[in-house]
Amino acid sequence: MNLRIISANLVVKLMGFYREKTTMFFTFAFPIILILVFGTIFMSQDSMEYRLCVQDLDRTNASAQSIKTLGLNGKFKITSIDPAINAAQYVRDNRVNLVLVIPKGYESSLMQRMMLKDFNASVTITYIYDPSSSSVITKMQILNSVLAGINQGMSGKPPFIRSVEKSILTKKYRFIEFFVPGIIAMSVMTLSLFGTVDSDTELRQKGVIRKLSTTPITRTDWILSNILYHFILAVISTIAMLLVSYAVFDVSLHIDAWLLAFILLDVFAFVGTGMILTRFVKEAQSAAAAANAISYPMMFLSGSFFPIELMPGFLQKIARTLPLYYVNEGLRASMVFEDNMAALRSSAIIGVYAAVVFILGIMATKWEEGK
Amino acid sequence: MTKETAYAVEVDRLTKRYGDLPAVDDISFTVSKGEVFAFLGPNGAGKTTTVEIIETIRPPTSGKVNLLGMDVTKKKHDIVHRIGVLPQGFSSFDRITVRETLQYYARLFSVKTDIDGLIELVNLGDKTKEQYKNLSGGLKQRLGIAIALVNDPEVVFLDEPTTGLDPRARHEIWEVLLGLKKKGKTVFLTTHYMEEAELLADTVAIISKGKVIAMGTPGELIESNANYLALTLKPVDEKVFEIVRKMGFGPVLDNHKNIKVRVEHTYDVQKILNAIKDAGALYLGLDVRKPNLEEVFLKLTGEALREDPDEMEAE
Repeated sequence: MNLRIISANLVVKLMGFYREKTTMFFTFAFPIILILVFGTIFMSQDSMEYRLCVQDLDRTNASAQSIKTLGLNGKFKITSIDPAINAAQYVRDNRVNLVLVIPKGYESSLMQRMMLKDFNASVTITYIYDPSSSSVITKMQILNSVLAGINQGMSGKPPFIRSVEKSILTKKYRFIEFFVPGIIAMSVMTLSLFGTVDSDTELRQKGVIRKLSTTPITRTDWILSNILYHFILAVISTIAMLLVSYAVFDVSLHIDAWLLAFILLDVFAFVGTGMILTRFVKEAQSAAAAANAISYPMMFLSGSFFPIELMPGFLQKIARTLPLYYVNEGLRASMVFEDNMAALRSSAIIGVYAAVVFILGIMATKWEEGK
Repeated sequence: MTKETAYAVEVDRLTKRYGDLPAVDDISFTVSKGEVFAFLGPNGAGKTTTVEIIETIRPPTSGKVNLLGMDVTKKKHDIVHRIGVLPQGFSSFDRITVRETLQYYARLFSVKTDIDGLIELVNLGDKTKEQYKNLSGGLKQRLGIAIALVNDPEVVFLDEPTTGLDPRARHEIWEVLLGLKKKGKTVFLTTHYMEEAELLADTVAIISKGKVIAMGTPGELIESNANYLALTLKPVDEKVFEIVRKMGFGPVLDNHKNIKVRVEHTYDVQKILNAIKDAGALYLGLDVRKPNLEEVFLKLTGEALREDPDEMEAE
C-alpha cells in the first residue's frame, strides 16, 4: 500500500468527477429531489383534510347539526350538495369519490330515539362511493369511527374500553424523519455501486487498467482509492441531503458517529458488490443494466421509501436478507430512535456482509490480464 | 537477484496458449540494450501477446522471459520501475488534462520528472491544458509515449504506436521515436507497418502465426529473402505485357493495370526496355526499386502485412 499513489489516484478521480457536471448533478441532486418530492407529499399527508360531500335530504336542524359535528372532527372539509340531484351521478360527473347521504326523516327518528326512548328507532346513512379511488376506503373508515363516536355519545353512558396512545419515542416524529435516513442509505448505495461498475468497466474496456498494470500502482492501492473516493462523495451527498432536509422540512434527526460508520459500511458493501459485477460484465452498457437489476429491487424492497411492514410476509422475509435493509435500519436506529444497541446489531450484520463482499470483490478484480 | 546482461530482453522458448489455441508458439529471441527492435507481423500474429508477457501484463504458459536480467513472472514490482509502456489502443482519463495526466503518472512512479521536457519531446506544448478526451488520435498517442517516458525507463515498449493514425500523424510519431533512438533508449516496437520498421529499427523480427520466422537488420532480411529488383511499367498498349511474358520474366498486372516484374539484375531491366522499344510499343512511365520488408514478408508467409486495402490505399 502506497499512500502517495492512493492520493494521486484519488485526486484524479475527484477532478474527473468535478469536471463531469452532468454526473455530478445527478449524483447530488437526485436524492435531494426525492427528499423534496416525497417530503412534500407526505408532509401534507400528516395534516391531511379530506373533502366530504354531504347530501342532506332531511334539511332539518338536527341533520344540519350532525353535518357540523362531522366537520368539527377536523378530518373533513364539508361540501353540501343539492338534495334534488342524483348523488351517484354527481360522483360520476364531479370526480368525487364519496357522497354521504342523510335520509329524509333523520330528525324525526332522532327525536323518537332521544325523547321517546324508542331504542328501535334508527337511521341509515348511505355512502355513495367510487371503489376505484384509492383513498375512499380510508375516508369511509374515518367516517365510521366518527359515527361510532356519535352513537356512543348518544347512549349517555361512558365507554367500557378506552384507549390511550403511548409512543415508544421521546419525541413525535414525522414521516420525513423516517424517510431521510432511507434516502441516505439508498443514494450511498447507488453512487457506490454505479460508480464502481461504470468507471471500472469503462476504464477496463478502454485499456486504462492495462496501462496502469504496467506502473507501480497495485490492485490494493486502486481499490483503496476507489473506496476513499466513494466515501468522500457519499459524505458530501449526505451533507447536502441533510442541509436541504433541515432547511426545507425542519427535520429533527440525531447525528453522531453512527452516521459516518453506516455510510462507510454502505460504501464498502456496494463498492465490493460493484467489483464482483465488474468481473462478470465486460461492457459499460451491460454494466449499467446489471447495476440497475441489483439496485432497483433493493431500494424498493429494503424499506428505503416505505416501511417493509406494508409488504406481504414473503417479501418481508426477502427484505431481511438484503444488505440495504440493515443500513436503513441502522441509520433509523441511530438518527431517529437513538437506539445504540439496535444500531450496533444492524452495523454488525452489514459489517459482515461488507467484509465478505469486499474480500470477494478484491479476489474478483482482474489487474493483470489472463489471471 | 538481478544479473547483469548485455540483453534488455531475453525470450527463451516462450509459449502462450488460450485454451488449445497457441497465440505464441515456442519463440526465442533477444533484444540488445540500446537498440530499436521491431516486432513486425500482421494482426493476430502474436505480437501483442508476446510484448504483454514481456511487460508483465500477461503470464506465459511456458518458457522463460527475462527483462534486464529479471524474470518477468517473479520480479514485476522491480521491472515496472525500469520500463515504459505504450499499450496497444492506449487510453487515459477523459477529463484530465495533458499536464495533469503526466503529473499523475509521475506520482505513481514516485519520481520527479521534467514534465516540460517530456511535453516538448512529444511536441504537445500548446495542448498542456487540453483534456484527454479533446485530443486527436495522434495527440493521444504522443501523450501515451510521453507517459511511457515519465520514469526515464531503460526499455520502452511501444505497441503499435501509429495504428489508426493518418499519414501525417504517423510521421509526427516517427519524429518522436527517432528522438528516442538518438537518446539511446532500448525501444521494443511492435508494428504492422513495414516502413515504420525499416525507418526506425536496428533489428526486425518477423512474426507470423505465433512463430518468429525471420530476424535480422532490415538490410539483411531484404538481402537474404528478396534479392531482386522490382520493375513497374505503366503501359500504353497491351503488347507490352506479352513482350515481357515472352521474355520469360513472369509479369503480373496489378489493380491499376500496371505491369510488375521481378528481375535479378539491372541489365535485365535494360533488356526489357530495349525489347519494348524494338517492338514499337509504348509505356508512360517506369519505376525500378529494391524490394522492401513488405515483399520479404510476402515471400516468407504468402500473406500481406495489412489486410485493409483502404488503409494501404491511403498511403
